[in-house]
Amino acid sequence: MKIYTRQLLVVLLGLIGNLFATMFFRDSLPNGLIILTYQDHRLPIVDISFVCRSGAVFDPEGKAGTASLCTDMLLRGTKKLSADSIAQILDFIGARYGTGTDFDRCFLNLRLLKKDLSLGLDILSEMVLEPAFPEDEFTRAQEQTLTSAQRAYDYPSALVAMEFDRLLFGKHRYSLPPRGDTATIRKITRDDLKNFHKTHFVPNNCFIVFVGAVDHEEIKNEVHRRFANWQPGPVSSPQSPETILPEKIRVKLITRKDMNQTYIQFGHPGISVFNNDLIATRLMSYILGGPPLSSRMGLAVREHGGLAYDVRCWFDRRLLPGAFRATVQTAKPKEAIEKMFTEIRRMHETGATKSELLKAQNYFTGSFPLSYSSNQGKLDRLSEIELYHYGIDWLERFPDLVRATTLQQVNETAKQHLHPDRYIMVIMGNVTKDELNLPDVEWVE
Amino acid sequence: MYAIMLSLIVFAAPLEVARSADLIEIAALESRINEFTLKNGLHIIHYFDSSAPVVSVNVYYRVGSYDEQTGNTGISHMLEHMSFKHTDIYKPGDFDRILDSVGANNNGFTSTYYTGYYEELANEHWELALKLEAARMHKCIFPDSEFESEHQVVAEERRLWDNRPNSTLWEQFEAMAYLVHPHRNPTIGWPDDVKNYTVEKVRNWYKKYYNPSNAVIVIAGDVPFEEVKAKVEKYYGRIKGIPVKRTDFYDIEPALAGERRLIIRKRVNVPTLVIGFPTPGIRDSFHSVGDVVAAILGGGRNSRLYRTLVIDSGIATSVSAWNEVECDPGILEILVTPKNESLIPRVENIILAELKRMTTEPVNTQELQRVKNQTLAAALFDRDDISDIAWFLATSQITAGNWRYFLQKIEKIEETTADQVRFFCNQYLTGERRIVGILLPDKEAQ
Repeated sequence: MKIYTRQLLVVLLGLIGNLFATMFFRDSLPNGLIILTYQDHRLPIVDISFVCRSGAVFDPEGKAGTASLCTDMLLRGTKKLSADSIAQILDFIGARYGTGTDFDRCFLNLRLLKKDLSLGLDILSEMVLEPAFPEDEFTRAQEQTLTSAQRAYDYPSALVAMEFDRLLFGKHRYSLPPRGDTATIRKITRDDLKNFHKTHFVPNNCFIVFVGAVDHEEIKNEVHRRFANWQPGPVSSPQSPETILPEKIRVKLITRKDMNQTYIQFGHPGISVFNNDLIATRLMSYILGGPPLSSRMGLAVREHGGLAYDVRCWFDRRLLPGAFRATVQTAKPKEAIEKMFTEIRRMHETGATKSELLKAQNYFTGSFPLSYSSNQGKLDRLSEIELYHYGIDWLERFPDLVRATTLQQVNETAKQHLHPDRYIMVIMGNVTKDELNLPDVEWVE
Repeated sequence: MYAIMLSLIVFAAPLEVARSADLIEIAALESRINEFTLKNGLHIIHYFDSSAPVVSVNVYYRVGSYDEQTGNTGISHMLEHMSFKHTDIYKPGDFDRILDSVGANNNGFTSTYYTGYYEELANEHWELALKLEAARMHKCIFPDSEFESEHQVVAEERRLWDNRPNSTLWEQFEAMAYLVHPHRNPTIGWPDDVKNYTVEKVRNWYKKYYNPSNAVIVIAGDVPFEEVKAKVEKYYGRIKGIPVKRTDFYDIEPALAGERRLIIRKRVNVPTLVIGFPTPGIRDSFHSVGDVVAAILGGGRNSRLYRTLVIDSGIATSVSAWNEVECDPGILEILVTPKNESLIPRVENIILAELKRMTTEPVNTQELQRVKNQTLAAALFDRDDISDIAWFLATSQITAGNWRYFLQKIEKIEETTADQVRFFCNQYLTGERRIVGILLPDKEAQ
């Protein structure tokens, strides 16, 4: 017990009365590695997520995709185990595993039967601490990532989003997907991956979450046994994007004569997940463009207009300020755009109503426990809580914060964070400028 | 660690005790399940899980693209959209407004064999979902004035499908693979059929298929069985049941007379290859061997085709395989991303050679054991989420007439032998029985 910096005592989660009889713990090793445990013994299974707090925003200049490829390579060989051996062992015990990278984090997830926990942790610790980045596996991983990037170009929704990011975020890392694009992926070398790993995979920049049939004290010892000698290192902060709010609507039109529908994404700079207005802004954007069957945009464009199957808007939730985005796919782009513009303007000018806010609050507070009723849900929520420093009482506090949000706060966020008619907009389809007939816009070539 | 690893891979014996424990754990699921049938034919399955105070309410109707004829394809899906709109007392938007107000997640979906609706919500509100679904079952009205806008929404959904290149490949591949069986029709409907829906067609479809006798309800989560019985009787007991006889197309598809091949050129950057082989449906006790074969062929890095195509020859970047059988005879499908178009003949040859090897040499014990271990582990993982269990129960009840089917399938996979795998490959995965779909970049369109 002495070896740990005990930050918190056991927290019993009294969620909506006596929701779960499970327990949540947070501890850390002296080297800074945080351990989160959610004990739930109803099934003999364990979910693990190992998270490094440095995501794609830390990719080296011109080499977007480094973090993603580095994390992918963790599964492809350690100093003691080849990629084949890792897969043979994990597949043989029926484990599910995978890696992922977004702008804010890299992670390695492992789901296994309780009886295989020790073996799984042996392999996980090797993957994290001693990846070998073998040459042949690197070549293969790079080719596979390139193929994924090329395939993304086959999908209009992905293309429109990529073009929107490029126009809004300029030279910042947010301008390309976490995976990178075909040009940047080709430039990444094995040394880049080794450097990324060495720089960012340090214990004081990582945390590990366990959910399921585990005992916290045992887990601490297991983690300590494997990670205690891992040396801490310096941790750097990412650079915020320098986005500019356009003076008028700037539109990029991509003509695609083979399409029978027009794909649209538009928006402007948004907020960071640390912004004090985060919850009020989430409630406001839910009312404006949340569920396609009942939000304001959904009612205007889909339910009453019959113009689209899906229409929505949201604020990115990232460490650094992302974007406010609205999307729609429609055969009648002019009409859909007009209705979406109108709804945003109306929200900006007159705000939401009391009943709309109450409905949104009820939805947020009511559906929140559903999001972590399963182990997988708990893993996601706990990762989010740790990553964004929400605090270990977040599961209790979030519903209270939602309920405490006033109509005035919501309407102030509409005034402050929505900027009607100052959008970056990407339109892709078999449509001309004349047909769109957008008034007072700047066309971007 | 390596000692443990060796014991896992070389000696199967230490696994036996643990495997038995897993099987017992999986079988324990049955003790949490109760079922009953109302006089009107409505069948209810209840799964009790009090680990979280949430409930999943699921209402499934035995209607989907399986029941649709040419000219009317996708009508089940159109009805699903319209069923969210208007009942005797609920107006458009009410379903969502009411359910959102208690924080419920809800949606509907249409598939080949069923149309399903679900609500996931706090247990204190579960009765509300039951009440709304009862209205959907027998009180929907479809005013003319509400039809056209939703018709356009569905037309837009159909266009989304058109603009995804791989969707076109799958749709046309299935239409080629099945000459007469309704599996050939997309659930969303063919474009011309979608264009020609009328509100009258929707009303008729509703009248024919939505009633207690043609539905299955699964309630999973933290609500006691006695309460479920009482509330279901309260909301559904008085609804008239009208039995619907589903046409049986099980054996309708003629035997494949030779290889079928489809090549599509579209504006894509990456080629896609799919090779399919017709396989038996669930009335054949042998059908689950197809799942084992698919996992050996394309289930992850250790699978045979991943090794030969991605690692050894390096001519593809991804491989996967699965046995697409839900009820009637289906297709075992192998999906490959070749590195470029010119490599496709080599990819095909390697696949055929590997299949040939499967017909002559028995699979090794480790390969087979891996698949069995993955199946067992997956069965336990799936119990993590009551919505997943509800899905297994409802779909098994509809496609196999028995919710135990999904558990029986696990047992079948457990019992699969190497000889059965070889026999299955000999019988079904021979080169002349292949159906090939290829999506290629259209250079002129780039």
